[in-house]
Amino acid sequence: MSKKITVFTTNTCAYCAMVKKWLDSKGVKYNVVNLDENPEKQKEIYEKSGALTVPVTLIEKEDSTEEVVIGYNLARLASVV
Amino acid sequence: MADKVHDVIMIGAGPTSLAAAVYTSREDIETLIFEKGIIGGLAAITDQIDNYPGFEEGIEGLQLAEKLQKQAERFGATIELGEVQSVKKDGDVFSLSTTSGELQAKTLLIGTGSEWKKLKIPGEDDFYGRGVHNCATCDGAFYRDKKLVVVGGGNSSAQEALFLTKFASHIDILIRGDKWKASDVLVDEAEKNDKITVHFNTTTDEIVGGDENKVTAVKGTKDGQETTFEVDGVFVFIGLKPVTYFLEGSGVELDEYGFVKTNHKLMTNVPGIFCAGDVRSGATMQIAAAVGEGAAAALSIREYLENYQREMIPNGNGQD
Repeated sequence: MSKKITVFTTNTCAYCAMVKKWLDSKGVKYNVVNLDENPEKQKEIYEKSGALTVPVTLIEKEDSTEEVVIGYNLARLASVV
Repeated sequence: MADKVHDVIMIGAGPTSLAAAVYTSREDIETLIFEKGIIGGLAAITDQIDNYPGFEEGIEGLQLAEKLQKQAERFGATIELGEVQSVKKDGDVFSLSTTSGELQAKTLLIGTGSEWKKLKIPGEDDFYGRGVHNCATCDGAFYRDKKLVVVGGGNSSAQEALFLTKFASHIDILIRGDKWKASDVLVDEAEKNDKITVHFNTTTDEIVGGDENKVTAVKGTKDGQETTFEVDGVFVFIGLKPVTYFLEGSGVELDEYGFVKTNHKLMTNVPGIFCAGDVRSGATMQIAAAVGEGAAAALSIREYLENYQREMIPNGNGQD
């Protein structure tokens, strides 16, 4: 069960818009961190994902473990959200 | 077994299918669009579109995609996020194996467009998403005050390099040939930009990483001499290839480059399967043209369905 979901995005990222549309379609609540507005968060998300790309979806679970989904990956998102 | 037969299933939700869906839905042709990637296709990840009529100041690709989607949905088209894995003729209908199960339709529109080609050089796969990218609007923000290489000499390369100058301190554009293939307007803008250096007759041979598992350099060959560009990332725009893998076994005929062949009504050699946009053999790879082809295909689909309702399904091979 998900505790908290955060989607890391940028202003111009179409794949980010798709992740948000998909989460909306599933009725899943999430927070958004826009890296254009919060560039200081880039280091944090790189450390968690190992990737220099968005979207990155961070799923913090009830048991305090984390899942990281890189990109617009519906199969992965569906399995962890 | 599918529980209903759709009038038309459109594969791919780029500008082609979204435009076609406006026409079919308005005429009460029940329309389902399947998309495995981005609604709006490659247009949606383009920073700025200046050559699509009706927007005198240009329009952001993502914004155009949203407008196209809303217009198609306004008339009743349904967009489903998922992947079509295979297509086959099943009596009078087409059966599609999808990530949402088996679906059936009287007609199909192939509007899957194309995707970026890879360089196929050492390091490209190893650093994909960690220094090697195809989407400037997605990943450019990670390169504030960093050095980049952009590979390719076409419109996308020039346009995306210009977008990346918002972030990068310097960009080397590597072009294999001795001249641009991009439009004069974009070339002029790119060559005037102080942050951009263009290298002709330069191949891209290897992407090299350092201890932190990040890209540190690109090795190439310029005028026959090995050369190294010390950069933090690489954006690759070396051309497009059609997305047709799901057509294997369908009987749909492709040209020698893998694009779908159609007749003058945009129907393939399989009656009832239509194709338009960038995936079609002979396409001009322009958004405006994709939209026009989508509209034309929709009218052909309407005509086909009228005959279908009268149980007069053509038996020809469709290649006029």
